[in-house]
Amino acid sequence: MTTVTVRYIVNDIDAAIDFYTTHLHFELQMRPNDLFAMLGHGDLRLVLVKPVGPDGPAGGGAPMPDGTMQEPGGWNRFSVEVPDLAAAVEHLRSCGARFRNEVVTGVGGKQILIEDPSGNPVELFEPILPEARLSQPTPSSGQPGQ
Amino acid sequence: MTPDPLDAMRLPIMPVEPRPEFAASLLRRLRGEPPPVSGRGATVRYFVADLDAAVAFYCRDLGFDEELRPAPSFAMLYHGHLRLLLSVPGPAHAMPDGTLPDPGGWNRIVIQVPDLAAAVEELRGRGARFRHEIVTGVAVRQALLEDPSGNLVELFEPLVGYHERAPQGGQ
Repeated sequence: MTTVTVRYIVNDIDAAIDFYTTHLHFELQMRPNDLFAMLGHGDLRLVLVKPVGPDGPAGGGAPMPDGTMQEPGGWNRFSVEVPDLAAAVEHLRSCGARFRNEVVTGVGGKQILIEDPSGNPVELFEPILPEARLSQPTPSSGQPGQ
Repeated sequence: MTPDPLDAMRLPIMPVEPRPEFAASLLRRLRGEPPPVSGRGATVRYFVADLDAAVAFYCRDLGFDEELRPAPSFAMLYHGHLRLLLSVPGPAHAMPDGTLPDPGGWNRIVIQVPDLAAAVEELRGRGARFRHEIVTGVAVRQALLEDPSGNLVELFEPLVGYHERAPQGGQ
């Protein structure tokens, strides 16, 4: 399997689609209803699901057996590589994007946490060490912040 | 003091560990070979309370490969094109107000298995915890597995009608 799939819980499918396609240059692949969408970004497939209650359809957004509903947030996240983090952050700030922190410089690179409209974190990452680099920029995929 | 000529052969800030995975990774770097999925893949970071327990869980129970563990608070694992970074929360992760990240939440990686019932049974036999038993959704069966820190991993088995986009770019 060549695709990596991540599921994020969101409160508003369309707001999330707008955020990921406009700001992070994801491609919308599927939006069959207002509970589910599938986006792509390189090898990452991002599945967005809106949580439902016990009367909702079964599937990825269903509540737990004890009735607990799923919700957005937390700290686990996927990362999106950008060639110039400072420029990306400046551009995204001017678009009204929310960040949880400021740019942090670690061993492998610089990073910052942006929040989607439901409050899910996405790590924007500019590699410093070549080992930390993952994706090669391709002409077809825009880079966040540009 | 004159520099030791052997310094040129030493890698900077590279702790030595007697683990075969680390040795293999180091050898790749010395040979200038690219990492396993260079130029492809996606990266996910999970926060864990116990790095050893997490590495054991992902590598032993879910078939991940350990790529790097350069510090007691960080490991890099691979599973196909997924690069999973495991971090133990520490001061470097603190938000400006001091808030530290923690494990848990509902966002998760999704891993396909050929036979979900068999996978659940095997994992359960090894003591794995599930937050949700097998449920049938649209064209998939899925289960929510918890890692030792309470992070979710979604296991799924495709059913009739499952949509998988063809790989792009001929790779």
